[in-house]
Amino acid sequence: MPARARAWVARWAAIVIGVGLLATACTGGGSPARPEAGGDSNTITYLIGQPEDAEQLDLIKQDIATFEKDNPGVKVDLNVMPNDNLRAVLQTQLRSGEGPDVFGYDTGPGFAGVLADAGLLYDLTDAYDKYNWPIYDWAKERVTFGGKILGVPGQVEEIGIFYNKDLFAEHGIDEPRNLAELKAAAEKLKDAGITPFAFSNKEGWEAGHILSAILASSIGSDGVAALLAGEKPWNSPEVIGAIDLWFNDFRKRGYLPPSPNAITYDSANALFYSGKAAMNLTGTWMISDITKTADFEVGFIPFPAEEGPGIFAGGLGGGTFVSANTANPELAIKFLDHMMSPEYGVWSVEKLNIIPAYPVDTSGIKTSPLFKQVLDDTGQMASGAGDFGYNIDVLTTDVFNETMWDGLQSVLTGSATAREVADDLEEAFQSSTGE
Amino acid sequence: MAQSFSAGVAATRRSRSRLGLLFVAPTFLIVAVFFLFPLGSAVYFALTDWDGVSPTPRFVAADNFLRMVGDKEVWHALGNNLIWVLVGTTAPIVLGLLLAVVLWSGVRAVLFYRLVFFMPYVLPPIAVGIVWSWIYDPINGWLNRLLTLVGLGEAARGWLGEPDSALYAVLAAAIWATFGFVVVIFLAALQNVDLDLIDAARIDGANAARRLWHVILPQIVPVFFMVTAITFVGGISVFDIVFIMTGGGPGNATSVLGTYAFKNAFQLNDIGYGTALALLITVLSLPCVMILNRVQRALAKRGMGD
Repeated sequence: MPARARAWVARWAAIVIGVGLLATACTGGGSPARPEAGGDSNTITYLIGQPEDAEQLDLIKQDIATFEKDNPGVKVDLNVMPNDNLRAVLQTQLRSGEGPDVFGYDTGPGFAGVLADAGLLYDLTDAYDKYNWPIYDWAKERVTFGGKILGVPGQVEEIGIFYNKDLFAEHGIDEPRNLAELKAAAEKLKDAGITPFAFSNKEGWEAGHILSAILASSIGSDGVAALLAGEKPWNSPEVIGAIDLWFNDFRKRGYLPPSPNAITYDSANALFYSGKAAMNLTGTWMISDITKTADFEVGFIPFPAEEGPGIFAGGLGGGTFVSANTANPELAIKFLDHMMSPEYGVWSVEKLNIIPAYPVDTSGIKTSPLFKQVLDDTGQMASGAGDFGYNIDVLTTDVFNETMWDGLQSVLTGSATAREVADDLEEAFQSSTGE
Repeated sequence: MAQSFSAGVAATRRSRSRLGLLFVAPTFLIVAVFFLFPLGSAVYFALTDWDGVSPTPRFVAADNFLRMVGDKEVWHALGNNLIWVLVGTTAPIVLGLLLAVVLWSGVRAVLFYRLVFFMPYVLPPIAVGIVWSWIYDPINGWLNRLLTLVGLGEAARGWLGEPDSALYAVLAAAIWATFGFVVVIFLAALQNVDLDLIDAARIDGANAARRLWHVILPQIVPVFFMVTAITFVGGISVFDIVFIMTGGGPGNATSVLGTYAFKNAFQLNDIGYGTALALLITVLSLPCVMILNRVQRALAKRGMGD
């Protein structure tokens, strides 16, 4: 081969290898090793996101051991994954036909909805008929896609303000019953050198919960439902006002810690636990952690409305699904049935402080006053008696959520206005729901 | 006799080429499986609208590439990549070169310093990102505490939470992790520098800066360009440390092409567009390396390199 030709070949070989190397690096790929699904007819794999604390994980393992003991010869392989990685890894696994048999996942259109559209979820409609699981109808709707019930709803949750009762009493502050009283309380706390709200937003999703809580009280459940149904635009004055209230007004008044975009969720919770911050606007999934960690009495109220105490944002926190590719649908459904049992419900409430989406007899359960309050509230939510707002991000698309999270971070830094973000939300809502 | 001799030569050649093929086969297999196949796969996905789950992605030809042109976030991310390339290439090279020259010029315990400076480079970028996130933490971070301790409390801030400082804060962590590598490479190159030339320059009255610029640097030019090429391409394809420390935020303040590609591919389920963005990174990196390579060869021909 002539020298010029050799050089040409060598150069193009180098280019091709270089492109390959970079493309490989940039397109990622690969997923953690996991047991093969359905390799053994008596074994199923179960994938969940990392629980809030190690103790909860131990309890889940204990429950799996109970299921295995009740069903001799059956084995459930538990895999745990950081929640941030769950979506990318799970989608890749399921698509390649190697996903877990059973998995915990969010129920919204941006999560389970995507899997449902691709036919990756096992149809549980017949299982519902066979086992007659007593799941609340509203919760069942959240796991129903295209007329098929494709999952089992997980826990019922609320979003509201946890507040340090001891600090409030120490500074002569009563539980706020409207927005003006909340601002007065925050002002008093700030003057005493205490950060009124332990707010973090480094992860971005926290801001979506804040917006959910404020909108629930400012426009009510009907108003938020209208937003989610596309009957009311996301750039309406009420949404702009809700964004302005927290992300501009509260920030400028000094009610929030400086640079919340640099603070992690765990750090903000630590601020609350240490008494450096008096209130924490977050969800009831933190009850177990709060009960164990806070050495003061904690109250829980909705974000107040202008004229009254307001209502909690609430809804379903994820669900459990079965892969359409599972080799063991019967065993997977049996495992789901175990999660639907009255005993599991009581155990879940008592040990995990998690409220299932079906009726649980809590009369004999010993709980903290804080959890008792949440139990009563969510009982109302479940029966349809109470009025509750919605947690936005579990009901909207991933495009909308990313726009909301990025946009609200930008409002906090002053690089976007509430109006601009509201306009972006409307655009994202229209574009992603129109697809 | 002659016939049997030439037949023997041919047989030897054949067996040699078979042996050669056998030797290159594993490498070829690795290149094919790990480089060529993913490359072909990436090009294929970039030409589709694949959402990550659909079994039959739609062929969209060059739509994803055309979309990039009108996507203002691509230009914003590209701008951040440019900052990363300029600062992230210049700073470690300047710092690394100066430090290497200082260590080379007779500092005791060079091995110890070499080890200390090189240590951050062997740490996974994820670990570097996590540790530096702690340092920058606005509540418990060392940096703000240190600033307060020395009377500069006014400068304390949420380093990773403000658009003005976030990118540079992440860059600082990356430079910290990289410059030790530059030190070690330059130190190795400096071992080949002709000391007589430096002595001659000193006798001629050249000061330290002039000796560095006119005598030392020309002798280590090939290494200089090699290090520049590595840090340069690293700046274009940067992903991990930004993703760990800010995720591209706050808002999109620290978004670079790598994080934007990831966001589209794995958070917005737009694998086709995400892959096209990843290929853009590749395309941008290649000319940089080729230009640097040509410059290096040109210098070598003029006797300034090897």
